[in-house]
Amino acid sequence: MQGGLAQRAKSGNTRTLATTEPWFVRWLLISAALLFLGFFLFLPLAIVFVEAFNKGFAAYFQSFNDPDAWSAIQLTLTAAAIAVPLNLVFGVAASWCIAKFNFIGKSVLLTLIDLPFSVSPVISGLIYVLLFGLQGWMGPWLSEHNFKVIFAVPGIVLATIFVTFPFVARELIPLMEAQGKEEEEAGLVLGASGWQVFTRITLPNIKWGLLYGVILCNARAMGEFGAVSVVSGHIRGHTNTMPLHIEILYNEYNFVAAFAVASLLALLALVTLAAKSLVEWRAQRLQDTEEGVK
Amino acid sequence: MSIEVKNITKVFGTYTALNDVSLEIKTGELVALLGPSGSGKTTLLRVIAGLEHPDQGSIVFHGNETTHIHTSERNVGFVFQHYALFRHMTVFENVAFGLRVRPNSTRPPEAQIVERVMKLLKLVQLEMLAKRYPSQISGGQRQRVALARALAVEPQVLLLDEPFGALDAKVRKELRTWLRRLHDEISVTTVLVTHDQEEALEVADRVVVMNRAKIEQIGTPEEVYMHPASPFIYDFLGNVNLFHGRVSDGKLIIGNMALSLPGTHQPMENAKVFIRPHALDLAHSANGVDQLKARIMHINPAGPLVRVELKSESSDVIQVELSQERYQELAIKRGDEVYVTPRQLKIFTDDYAI
Amino acid sequence: MLLKERSILPGFTLTLGFTLVYLSLIVLIPLSAIFLKTTQGTWEHFWGTITSPRVIASYKLSFVASFIAASINLVFGLLVAWVLVRYSFPGKRLIDSLVDLPFALPTAVAGIALTALYAPNGWIGKPMASLGIKTAFSPLGIVIALTFIGLPFVVRTVQPVLQDLELETEEAAASLGANRFQTFWRVILPSIGPALLTGFALAFARALGEYGSVVFISGNMPMKTEIIPLLIITKLEQYDYTGATAIAVVTLVISFLMLLIINLLQWWTARLKTR
Repeated sequence: MQGGLAQRAKSGNTRTLATTEPWFVRWLLISAALLFLGFFLFLPLAIVFVEAFNKGFAAYFQSFNDPDAWSAIQLTLTAAAIAVPLNLVFGVAASWCIAKFNFIGKSVLLTLIDLPFSVSPVISGLIYVLLFGLQGWMGPWLSEHNFKVIFAVPGIVLATIFVTFPFVARELIPLMEAQGKEEEEAGLVLGASGWQVFTRITLPNIKWGLLYGVILCNARAMGEFGAVSVVSGHIRGHTNTMPLHIEILYNEYNFVAAFAVASLLALLALVTLAAKSLVEWRAQRLQDTEEGVK
Repeated sequence: MSIEVKNITKVFGTYTALNDVSLEIKTGELVALLGPSGSGKTTLLRVIAGLEHPDQGSIVFHGNETTHIHTSERNVGFVFQHYALFRHMTVFENVAFGLRVRPNSTRPPEAQIVERVMKLLKLVQLEMLAKRYPSQISGGQRQRVALARALAVEPQVLLLDEPFGALDAKVRKELRTWLRRLHDEISVTTVLVTHDQEEALEVADRVVVMNRAKIEQIGTPEEVYMHPASPFIYDFLGNVNLFHGRVSDGKLIIGNMALSLPGTHQPMENAKVFIRPHALDLAHSANGVDQLKARIMHINPAGPLVRVELKSESSDVIQVELSQERYQELAIKRGDEVYVTPRQLKIFTDDYAI
Repeated sequence: MLLKERSILPGFTLTLGFTLVYLSLIVLIPLSAIFLKTTQGTWEHFWGTITSPRVIASYKLSFVASFIAASINLVFGLLVAWVLVRYSFPGKRLIDSLVDLPFALPTAVAGIALTALYAPNGWIGKPMASLGIKTAFSPLGIVIALTFIGLPFVVRTVQPVLQDLELETEEAAASLGANRFQTFWRVILPSIGPALLTGFALAFARALGEYGSVVFISGNMPMKTEIIPLLIITKLEQYDYTGATAIAVVTLVISFLMLLIINLLQWWTARLKTR
């Protein structure tokens, strides 16, 4: 189980003469690292915006005049709006029982929660097709009741829930384990009910981890491509999310429009990174003040 | 409010933390549970608080069967070893917590809560820090906040788990005196867990010495120190010299020393002899066979008592404490050969004690 | 009861119950659908599908490309982690946050961006083409894409371990006469070995299943640049559900194996830390 916040490193220790490299070695290494990152990080990011504005501002904004683009944006937001809160509740429940109690099978449960992380996105979509598709288990029952899951919005939402399943739990579990259960015990001895202990003591203590998990969960939910691709049917205006819409535009050689929509997602990615850094910084500051007065 | 602990047994997996432990605590008493780590004292405290469920036995508060009552309803005040303050609440909010979570029927009005909290903060001398967060105050101050928080709900019993363990020596001494005074003022039945025997002996009305999941002895500090019931207690409480010897013909024989023992005694082969450092005296010349010859290895004159370390002919290390006057009288120095006389001793063997 | 010892904290049954139900509904039952579907077909059909030349070619491609990409990330990820932990330079904080970009950026966006970069008329593709190297629409393009998405894994796994390394062990080595390279090779590298391996395994596992970032740049030529996930989709579009499932089952088994290996590696790392 990884936990971004729980693992976040403290500021480095001061290095002495005997433990640093000569300056030219340092600068060589730094340059090599920056070159590598430049090729693999900066350039791809840059080209999204360059291509989007290739034909000028007018063409850029024109891309959003398309009703299909808008329904894609709407669908992406809807899927995220359902998947993230559900996985949030799950994450909190799972980390409560895992972090505060000792029971048989805990490590098995942890591995199971991590499963969606290791499954390829395409397979994540495939399993729902097998379950709810026309030829699937529940297929006949669903078509009887005229309820479409695959090639319709419910399927997209389900696939999104699956791929973002572990995000919040992965953040909260190590955090809550590190915090222990003494504060909760203290609250109980003072007469608080279980719910009061959870809302007044536990929740405030995990708020940064929660935020962090939600941010990551949302980013993945809005950007999921492979799984959604399999279940959606690619019906323009109905079952296309933003990433799928980008694919369609690109395959039609409508590059400016494709990159224009992509730029929105790229901006979201940058906002996600910024929010992530902010949360980490706040959590680190909190930890520092706690450790400072010991 | 009195507490009765009846035959409590608690097992964690294969490890027995408490083995048929029974104890009675009178209303208003300050009792110390004293023992080394692993003796079961913290477990016992937690069982009394309701934080652990005993496997066998019962707890009775003032005549009422309490064993199966949930901790939130026992009305006990518990002070955790590492304080367990709510890190995201201010000092004021921490202390007010117990009052604020009460159901509407029993919750006092906010104004009254504020009054009570400020009174308590004044009692623990922290009213200036009401708006601070736990991370912004020192360890000793956090400890007092934890105490105020526990007292805010007017508990019938106050339970303290090694409250001064994480603090440095000077702060510890101050808080110790302060706790005793506080107890005299509010006289709540208090149980204190500690591994520091000085603390227990100084603060408590009665001391319960525990070792390996059992109670070794219960008594006033004086009783437990002057008349320990077992070798373990003798060794655990206070400094002590341990000699090995034997008893025959009504005499205790250690090395070259033969001491006449008052009364009649059975011969003993493996006798363990405990002598406190202040129960030994030194002399420059021999006067019969009641003494042990030894050489002075080290003298530490700094302090109210002078500590002298000696080595006997059989290479036993002997610790002796002398008053400053006696030290001046004797005018001893390092390397001197002197004679050690015991004035008071305790002999244990596997079967019985003298 | 499942609980090892009675606890006074509330909510165990409620939270565990909800967790298990949600887990089963969303993850376990759908995943089992794949295995059950496979048992419906015949063994010959199953074996025939997964050993057909096109499928074998895609396994080879996916594995080799993922391995190469993870290896590149191993070396450069270590470099980046080292530089971020040990040195300071302008913009370091910004770059540190940006390392997570492949995590945060949607795979489709990455896919078209990389393709635009490395296509024959792209910023990098063009100069490479004049050198005679085909980047997009070739296995090389796939490796590049997989390197992109695996980039943060090694960096983020190694960073904390590098941070926690004790300064004194390096000073000891220096006082005993080792130069910096020797200290790095003999003292530092072995200490971060498990973390490096874990990062590699994570990057490798992620690359194996990657779809969105690769599908644009690969050109999807059967037998040449067709990765496993694409093959599954192709089969689905042809309504060959059994075929798609067969390939998926094999991939899943490998994924679970990788998950197991990674968990073991992480457990090993944690044990070394507490020694």
